[in-house]
Amino acid sequence: MLRLLVSLALAAVGSAQSPLPQRYRDAGVLRWGADAEGGAPFVFVDGTRPGAGEVGFEVDLARELGVVLGVELRRVQAPYESLVQVLDRGDCDLVLNGFEPTPARRELVRFTRPYYVFQQQLSVGPGVTGVRGLADLVGRRVGVLGQSQSHQVLLAQPGIDIVVYESNVTAYEDVVNGRTAASLADLPIARALRPLFPRLVDVGEPFGAYYYAIAVRRGEPELQRALDEAIGALLANGTLERIYREWELWVPAEARLGDRDVVDAFARDGDDRAAAELHWGAVLSLLGTGALRTLGISVVSFALAVLLGLAIALLRLHGPRPLRWCAVAYVELLRGTPILVQMLLLYYGLGQIEGLRLDAVTAGVLGLALNYAAFEAEIYRGALSAIPRGQREAAQALGFTGAQALRHIVVPQALRLSLAPSTNDFIALFKDSSIVMVITVVELTKQYQMLANATGRFIVLGFVTSGLYLLMSLPLAYLARRFERRLDRDRA
Amino acid sequence: MIRLRGVTKRYDGRVLFAGLDLDLVPGRTTVVTGPSGCGKSTLLRLCNQLERHDEGAVSLAPIEIPAGLPHAAWQRRAAELRRRTGMVFQGYHLFPHLSVLANVTLAPRVVQGAARAVAEAKARQLLELVGMAAAADRFPARLSGGESQRVAIARALATEPEVLLLDEPTSALDPASTADVVAVISDLRRRGVTQMLVTHDPQLAKALADELVQLG
Repeated sequence: MLRLLVSLALAAVGSAQSPLPQRYRDAGVLRWGADAEGGAPFVFVDGTRPGAGEVGFEVDLARELGVVLGVELRRVQAPYESLVQVLDRGDCDLVLNGFEPTPARRELVRFTRPYYVFQQQLSVGPGVTGVRGLADLVGRRVGVLGQSQSHQVLLAQPGIDIVVYESNVTAYEDVVNGRTAASLADLPIARALRPLFPRLVDVGEPFGAYYYAIAVRRGEPELQRALDEAIGALLANGTLERIYREWELWVPAEARLGDRDVVDAFARDGDDRAAAELHWGAVLSLLGTGALRTLGISVVSFALAVLLGLAIALLRLHGPRPLRWCAVAYVELLRGTPILVQMLLLYYGLGQIEGLRLDAVTAGVLGLALNYAAFEAEIYRGALSAIPRGQREAAQALGFTGAQALRHIVVPQALRLSLAPSTNDFIALFKDSSIVMVITVVELTKQYQMLANATGRFIVLGFVTSGLYLLMSLPLAYLARRFERRLDRDRA
Repeated sequence: MIRLRGVTKRYDGRVLFAGLDLDLVPGRTTVVTGPSGCGKSTLLRLCNQLERHDEGAVSLAPIEIPAGLPHAAWQRRAAELRRRTGMVFQGYHLFPHLSVLANVTLAPRVVQGAARAVAEAKARQLLELVGMAAAADRFPARLSGGESQRVAIARALATEPEVLLLDEPTSALDPASTADVVAVISDLRRRGVTQMLVTHDPQLAKALADELVQLG
């Protein structure tokens, strides 16, 4: 009865409140998906204010939306790149995370009216001169967060060499390091990160007008309408402006949030527009290029790993004592720490030191080689130890020096013993090589991720990508088996 | 020729032999025999310094190896000594990754720097000598024990050693293979190759010895 009265009262105010769907009212909870990692100023853990918990302008916004809707908004952690999938799977009910209604995303989810207008900020490195806008960056490397609005803006500007990053922090890091000339970012992010990168220089005025909106599943127009009206209410009563001013995010463009064209920017009719057709020629060419890069990186890094691994194994067994210890330490260190950490250290860590700044592919190849060398070294050590003592004695009796015996008698036999396990390692490296995507190398897996995120065709593209991997790894497995058979024959 | 003077060898605190003198005679076959564990193989291995002695001296003029040399000096002299001796093991120790021909040519090529063609011509002669010419391109895994040992003898002779050391060369072989290998050793004996052979088999010792040394 009371509820009826309240809704009558609201109707009387004239704000034709669309009700939140019943199941959410029953649950009393709306789960909002967002990524708190590197999430300032949206949602993040403020390390400078212990005990503050999660903060951010979207945390404040979610709280106010909850008040208007009469439910609790509870945050669900999910990686930014996977928010759409997490929403689709039903692990959250809405996405509120500086989420831009790109055309690709609009194929997949339903967006509310914008709750924030954002602009783009271009920043250049300390030594870069003569850049006043994107047009001055043709032919140069510009870093950007993958799948972001800034990424779209760069794609629309022909001739720029775009480098895609997993986070804005690493994108800025590489501008400071000089690996890229500039980085384009959403203004809120640029503002929030500026204290971390005092050497970056903002060029030009913020430009463009893009929107953050809340995403819900395609089949939930009622939830979308309820959220639309809640946003409208917060705009009308000044709550939005208060939150944005508190976070120093209020820019003059926000005045347009109530304009009809902005409100209706993403309104659409019909729920089930067919997903865009894939252009198979373009898709296969992109995936094929990624596959070739994967193959190249794998082959070169494994060749290096074999040479280095053999050297380490020989040092460990036959080197002078201090070098023996070094070899043991190397193997334990590289095997005992995650390759992901090694890769990030090699690229971003060393990147902070002038003269040790490797380009991404070199760092990727080196990182894989250094890591796999530790595993190869153990294989070779086992194989070297397995060569019977009599072999070295026979060589000695024939007058071979120790080094000659190793080179002509022991190592060739050990390499044959290691052939099968080594080939298996190569196949493992081949699949592990996708780790180089964390340092901006676009290989097969990364290319798949980008294509799938852009088109939403996770399954069909996933099969094609897996097929490409198999096409490359099956011949390797076949070779490994042949090596093994040949070895068995020689020992028969 | 190889000469041992006052050689003592201790093993695990036990004295294998003490103050031993031995002179190999050029062109003759010296057979060392004795019960197992008496140290006869060790004595043979002292002659090319695969084992080190504790007292006395081993020499092959002008190389002189007294006991207790510093490691580096010993290593240098031992390597010199080994380049002038050949050795055949009980377990053959052929190099399994190389063909029969390559087993025989490797030391001349690597240690003596011989040209491939020269080494191969020489190797084929030696394989002929031991009756294994037809097996030149086979791999050790495909050889019988007797065949392996005959190839091992050819390999040991390829560097033209002044003395051939044979450590129980037939004790891993069946009777037929033993006969083949003994025939090769007898042939070398007739040709005047200096040999030192260790065996626990008294009959074999009697059949092959120009000089007989009884240990233990």
